[in-house]
Amino acid sequence: MAVGSTKFPGEIERFSALDRILHWASAVAFLYCFFSGIGIAYPKFSWLLTVLGGGEFARWLHPWAGVVFSIGAILMFLKWARNMVLTSEDIAFLTRIKAYISGKHEELPEAGKFNGGQKLYAWVVFISAFLFFLSGIAMWFPENFDVGLVRWAVVLHTLTFIVAGAFTVIHIYMGTIGVPGSIWGMIGGKVSSTWAKFHHPKWYKEVRER
Amino acid sequence: MSTLTTGGTVGLGLKRVSATKEPDTKIKSYPELAILVDISSCIGCKACEAACQQWHDLTPPIMTPEEVVERKIAGYQSHPDLRPDLFMLMKFNEVETQRGFAWLITKYQCMHCREPGCLIACPSPGAVVQYQNGVVDFDHSKCIGCKMCLVGCPFDVPRYDSNNKPWKCNFCIDRVSAGLEPACVKTCPTQCLTFGFKEDMLEKGQKIVNALKERGYKNAVLYNPEGVGGTGYIYVLPHGDHIEDYSLPSKPHIDASIALWKGPLKTLGSFALWGAIIAAFLQLVIWGPIKVLGGKEEKEE
Repeated sequence: MAVGSTKFPGEIERFSALDRILHWASAVAFLYCFFSGIGIAYPKFSWLLTVLGGGEFARWLHPWAGVVFSIGAILMFLKWARNMVLTSEDIAFLTRIKAYISGKHEELPEAGKFNGGQKLYAWVVFISAFLFFLSGIAMWFPENFDVGLVRWAVVLHTLTFIVAGAFTVIHIYMGTIGVPGSIWGMIGGKVSSTWAKFHHPKWYKEVRER
Repeated sequence: MSTLTTGGTVGLGLKRVSATKEPDTKIKSYPELAILVDISSCIGCKACEAACQQWHDLTPPIMTPEEVVERKIAGYQSHPDLRPDLFMLMKFNEVETQRGFAWLITKYQCMHCREPGCLIACPSPGAVVQYQNGVVDFDHSKCIGCKMCLVGCPFDVPRYDSNNKPWKCNFCIDRVSAGLEPACVKTCPTQCLTFGFKEDMLEKGQKIVNALKERGYKNAVLYNPEGVGGTGYIYVLPHGDHIEDYSLPSKPHIDASIALWKGPLKTLGSFALWGAIIAAFLQLVIWGPIKVLGGKEEKEE
């Protein structure tokens, strides 16, 4: 049975309610960490801390938001990791990413539920959550760790931020204005059949065959 | 403490401020101050420790004998370590040296590094300041409680209260700015502690070191570690081959990781994030959003 197709013939369900809740809980937690982290690390952006409740409060909430993000990432990993395994087609997609962003869709291999870029971002999230958590714990309780370890944990935290932060900027862009229509997968959970057929043809066929 | 910082701008003059552009130090100039700790004339009376607590109104709990045994403090030490309410601590170690058994005493507190690791690591503008006289001070009103000052400190000095605010020796900056010597110096009965211009203290220290060498302490050194740009507390150590046994790091320095995350990594982060934003923007204006079928309508099947 095509999910929801009886009621909304033009739409198919892309993300379940649980998927969406997990995504947004992790997203809100990540964004709080993202902006408060920038406010803490970059004095020019310390005004962000004012917006986020003041320096002391933001510094207090940042690690707790990090814990929420880490738990969210673990649950997303358990739920989605199987769909995120990179195949040779995904690698081909990633190496020809320019064709994708320049709208030459026909030159690319057909994507399943997730394309190579989305899968790559998923792994950036899973791995960065793990690294953020490990280094973050050392920075949260510096008295309980060897100081040399904490110092390099800060370096690791920063490096992870650079990669995850840049990828997230791209993720937000692609999920909103970069690829029109995709946001509805995470809001309400349903995308138009046309959208699904165009962006994720293999997945579209699978859903239709069910 | 914030009144000191504000007053300090005119009163004491600022040399460096955490996470802030370097102040213009051409307006005011004041010579560096230092305390010379001549360990060779220290009798371990801990009067300086008592004076420190008295002047700063500190009342660290007195350890019970059981606690002392449990924490294996050798001999005379009052506490196992610095505490938020204990800015300085006399540390005692018993070691075998070339000259036989020795009782090594150290006055342990913030060293007032001239290149302060805490100030360099601090991300909060103005939470750590260094006055022109070299004294390093914290401003709790600007502190966000991230504990990076401890991570940056080569001497493991700042200790945190229940609000994650750091405490440490402030060189009795309130006394010093009023023309008095720090409380520990004032009370020292053996003139082991001397307070004055750093230049004079270095000269005096070197004289004592030379005298010690003549008396057979071949390894005597003046401890003013260059790795942190020199310190505000400088030490005459009779057993210079046992620096670590004095509970002092032999070669303290600002760790390379701190320079890495405060310098190149921040720049890299700026490039990566602004780069991602610019890349997304360029995609938008050059090719436009990736629309279904390039924007052409298709009839539903």
